[in-house]
Amino acid sequence: MSWYSDLPKFYQNQIKAMGLDDEGMSRRRLLKTAGAAAGAAAMSGLTFGRSARAASQMSYMCWEGYNDPRIIDPFKAANDVDIAFDLIVDSPGGFAKLQAGASREIDLVSSDMPWVTRMGPAGLALELNPDDYADVYATFYDQFKPPFEPLMSEGKTIGVATRWGWVGGCINTDITDPDTWRSYDPVFDAKNKDKICVMDWGDWPILPMALHAGIDPYQELDAAALEEVRKVLRAMFKNTRTLVADLTQAQKGLLDGSLLGCIGAGSYLTSAVRKQGHKNIIATVPDPKNGLKQGIIWVEATAIVKETDQPELAQKLLKHVVSKEAGHILSLLDTTCNVVTNKAVEALYTDEEKSILQTDYMWHAWDNSQMHRIAPNIDEMLAIWQEELAAAQ
Amino acid sequence: MNGEIDRSWRDPELLVKALPSVILQTAFFLAPLLMTVALTFQRTKNFQLTWTWSLDTWTDIFTKPHYWTILGHTLFMAITCVILCLVIAFPVAYALATRLRAFQDHVKVLITFAFLTDATLKTFGWVLFLDKNGAANYLLQQVGFPPATIDILFTDWATMLGMVYNLLSFAIFTIYLSIDAIDRSLILAAYDAGASKFRTFWEVTLPLARPGIWAASVLIFLLAVGVFLEPKVLGGGKSPMSAELIRQTFETRVNWPLGAALTLVLMTVAVFVVLLFNRVYSLKRHMGPV
Repeated sequence: MSWYSDLPKFYQNQIKAMGLDDEGMSRRRLLKTAGAAAGAAAMSGLTFGRSARAASQMSYMCWEGYNDPRIIDPFKAANDVDIAFDLIVDSPGGFAKLQAGASREIDLVSSDMPWVTRMGPAGLALELNPDDYADVYATFYDQFKPPFEPLMSEGKTIGVATRWGWVGGCINTDITDPDTWRSYDPVFDAKNKDKICVMDWGDWPILPMALHAGIDPYQELDAAALEEVRKVLRAMFKNTRTLVADLTQAQKGLLDGSLLGCIGAGSYLTSAVRKQGHKNIIATVPDPKNGLKQGIIWVEATAIVKETDQPELAQKLLKHVVSKEAGHILSLLDTTCNVVTNKAVEALYTDEEKSILQTDYMWHAWDNSQMHRIAPNIDEMLAIWQEELAAAQ
Repeated sequence: MNGEIDRSWRDPELLVKALPSVILQTAFFLAPLLMTVALTFQRTKNFQLTWTWSLDTWTDIFTKPHYWTILGHTLFMAITCVILCLVIAFPVAYALATRLRAFQDHVKVLITFAFLTDATLKTFGWVLFLDKNGAANYLLQQVGFPPATIDILFTDWATMLGMVYNLLSFAIFTIYLSIDAIDRSLILAAYDAGASKFRTFWEVTLPLARPGIWAASVLIFLLAVGVFLEPKVLGGGKSPMSAELIRQTFETRVNWPLGAALTLVLMTVAVFVVLLFNRVYSLKRHMGPV
């Protein structure tokens, strides 16, 4: 028993990550007595959580979940290394931090794939030789094996894909027929006014709406195409009940029926609720419309930072993160559950876990989706979003 | 007047004494502010800041009406919030200072607890209360009202409710201190002179409480123009206010020059309104009772 053992797992992980657990506090006391210099060092964010006992230390910038002790502790023990985490809350923010100088401290990055890929031309990522990862790729799904174009920049492999999911409509099958969500039409249906939820996560709600309007947002757009995006967003806001940035608000609304459907999200939103037993909450992908795939596949990837002083250890940690055992944990976290890129993990899933992850649906979602990358006109589309939101008041 | 009061900025001793404060202000307020100003003249492309001097951002701000729509909405919400807070806080503060003196410590502790409770927690608590399937509608349904009688969640009404609820304690305490400091003998003197209770309140208590009312107004206004939690959580994000627009611009659009410019616009407008408040207050004071 510890002072934080009655807290939800999410907070326990945070406490451990911040070095506020018993072990971390012991280390702090040790550091405190080690003199002013060590004390000053202990005050820096990256130093928290580093053990004086470990032979080496690493820094890992990642989404929450990649730092799960069940994933990290075995690696730490096997390699006599301690790892400090820099948890990101948004991919652009993490990228900006690396550019601002954090790349001198960080060894490994797990973030959204477009931002990992962007680390290549920005000179932040170490180029990976796929042959060095042959053992890893051997058990990967074919879709993610090299050459995996979305993770390449100028012919160079920048990172390894780790986790993925799809974006489409999130619905409660008890109150709405999934067949009606084979398109985004219910979002614009007048009878659904004040029943639609939109995830306010940057480009995520804009891109599906652009696809619904027949515009491929991943291509360079002209003024006429941007005008179509404007029209579809204007129509969307008419039926929107709420824009939420918090997953739990959307999950609650779907569960209690106050929200008919949620767009701008997908398996990332529904899986945690499904894990709690609510199998009536599903993430769907609309059918292609006029030949344009309507779903979006997001992928997380891991890359080694170019300036790392421990490339071998960073490579080991990367391989560990995508391993069968780590992948199983990573795909079934308390906060969110998502499929991973390592096919070998499938052997570890129970039927219940497969149901949580909608594994029977995942390749259907893949086949009907675009691969997410940075949209060339995202600046303009976000400006349009703000304008239409203000006009909808 | 004595010599000390005569001291001005030309006094070398005073200048030396003020130096640490000047250095701190320059380092931690003026320099960041100048950097913010400099940032507004840069550009972004694909989420990345490019250091090229340009007037694009300011052109954007002065040609796109939606920024001003949101700013106007923010000012309207903030001023409404100030009025509601004053209307609610004054009777509470007055009762605390005059009628509930025996319980005032207990009441103050209760208000302090509410004040110190995390605003995020309180705001999400209102969501559970106001939801169509929430506690308020459940209770109303139990006494015969139809389902979802209260349907204000994700509207400006809910935003205002959250703003007033979260900011009210600032107004109560500020006005309370002002009323509590009133010399009781002045009120008794008014009664002795034959003034009615209402006239005593109107001509003695209210004018003497005015500094607290104005201080509360300015405080609530400045806090209200900066809220983003209430419009986001209780207002459903459909009617964003300036702070949310700035957050969205910095975080979602990663457009730092625009975010910096919007920040400066909001600061300037807020300072202008406060100066206007002060001007009106000075005039009122010059002209006599409220």
